Amino acid sequence: MNKKLKTLYIIWYREVLIYLRNSVKFFTSIFLPILILVFFGAGLKTMFPVSILNCDFVQFFFPGILGLSISIMAISSTMSIVWDREFGFLKEILVSPISRSSIILGKILGATTTALIQGALILLIIPYLGIDFSKFLFIKAMLIIFLISYGVAALGILLVSRLKKMESFSIISQLIFAPMAFLSGAFFPLNNAPAWMAKMAFYNPLNYGIDALRWVILSESLLKEEISLITSHSLFLCVVVLLGFNLLITFLSTRVFNKSIY
Amino acid sequence: MSDLSVKGEQIEENQNNILEVIQVENLKKRYKRIIALDGVSFSVKKGEVFGLLGPNGAGKTTTINILCTLSQPNSGVAYVNGYNVIHQSNAVRNSIGLVFQETILDNHLTAEENLYLHAMLYGVSRKEYLQRKRELLKFCELWDKRKVRVETFSGGMKRRLELIRALIHWPQILFLDEPTIGLDPQTRRKIWDYIFTLRKKKNITIFLTTQYLSEAENCDRIAILNQGIIVALDSPENLKKVIGEDIIFLKTDDNQVAEREFQAKFPNYSIKWIGKELRVKVDNGDKFLPILVKAITPRIISIELRRPTLEDVFLEITGRKIRDNN
Repeated sequence: MNKKLKTLYIIWYREVLIYLRNSVKFFTSIFLPILILVFFGAGLKTMFPVSILNCDFVQFFFPGILGLSISIMAISSTMSIVWDREFGFLKEILVSPISRSSIILGKILGATTTALIQGALILLIIPYLGIDFSKFLFIKAMLIIFLISYGVAALGILLVSRLKKMESFSIISQLIFAPMAFLSGAFFPLNNAPAWMAKMAFYNPLNYGIDALRWVILSESLLKEEISLITSHSLFLCVVVLLGFNLLITFLSTRVFNKSIY
Repeated sequence: MSDLSVKGEQIEENQNNILEVIQVENLKKRYKRIIALDGVSFSVKKGEVFGLLGPNGAGKTTTINILCTLSQPNSGVAYVNGYNVIHQSNAVRNSIGLVFQETILDNHLTAEENLYLHAMLYGVSRKEYLQRKRELLKFCELWDKRKVRVETFSGGMKRRLELIRALIHWPQILFLDEPTIGLDPQTRRKIWDYIFTLRKKKNITIFLTTQYLSEAENCDRIAILNQGIIVALDSPENLKKVIGEDIIFLKTDDNQVAEREFQAKFPNYSIKWIGKELRVKVDNGDKFLPILVKAITPRIISIELRRPTLEDVFLEITGRKIRDNN
């Protein structure tokens, strides 16, 4: 067990080291969400007056953009596995005497960590958006970010563990991830959406993630009744669904990866 | 798989007494319709430099992949360091070091970081890692570059770093899959110098594949692989003896007449068409050459006497050149 933890650590360490070394990726991962918040936020705000939304548009918009940013970060970090395979590095890992499941967990946690770093930095701009901030809120938000990015990263691993080419990754991410993002409730509240859309969103784990972020981040600014108007599910349900999804997807991705050789 | 590796550890004491560190019996591997290996058997002795030769697509990399547990055979058995490659794959992985055909390094990371990650994956203790890192980096003249990112390295430097990485966990057997491919002759020689010096120092067994026959001359034994079958296996000297002591290449105005005359006058020697030239195998080339020149009537365009090389052996056995561009 100790040895497994050690390998897990080293795979994780490599992922994080490569992320931090890649300064361009590091910078854009912070810059882009802020850009979206400033421009999209200011632009869309005019279309959602307070009378419709019950709250300031940025308050509604921020948790959604945060959730999507960290999800994109997590899923694109798992792309390193395709990269590793294409450039052969996966062989170097697979030929070493370590268990496959530690490779998987190390990869997932590595991707999760990159998302957590990004999430933490984005959370720091909360006070400048007119949302009330506290240390406790930060910790709670980080926990939710962990749950979301872990699930998305594990899903990413499941999708890419058989891929041989970089190009296939963008197809997969568009085909699977884009609908998840649009139906997550990040851009518009889903409780007023058409029934078919709400039904589809019901099966979208990202929807629960975004809702959970909204509950936590707005907890000090809005009343519970106000938050429930812009979310579809309760915080408790969100956390349960996220946990269940993460367990299931970890199990699946480990199984699929064990079967793929290199 | 893990409980089997425990069994492997229990018989570890016997591992040091093994004389044949690689044993392969009747290995077969098929990729859909292509037969990559069609019943390959051989064994490698401890401390030996064993070379696997063959043209592209002969099955060299397939063999290495099976021995390194990256791929599984359809049938047959293989033991590396006394462990079964299928059932005790973790024990096998612990005993071997690998330099792949393609360069596999983390380009964003420094030389040192690349080594550190590898050492950790193989469970090398920190103290041993530091000591070996120092020794190997200094030996391969990369010590000054240890904190430099790999992306700035030249091809030769990358190869040396890969060699160091493959050795940092002190493997029993070092697998080198075309270790000098794509390098210039000078760098190639240097890489081999390192490999052979290290081998003497550490008494490791080396299993290599190469297309450069001049490099294969350094092996203790060579197996020639052609279309998934081992067609010859011996020391380079013995293999060359098959060809004979000396060979003469002859080109004349009329090779057909020359061939007929030769066969009539010297029925003990064999003569064979190689492209547009005639090849004669003889025992005592320098004395035979003047006799040959007098015995043949067509005008001689060119004549060459030389000792056989492995290239000639390869040509003789497989009927084609090892690196055929056609």
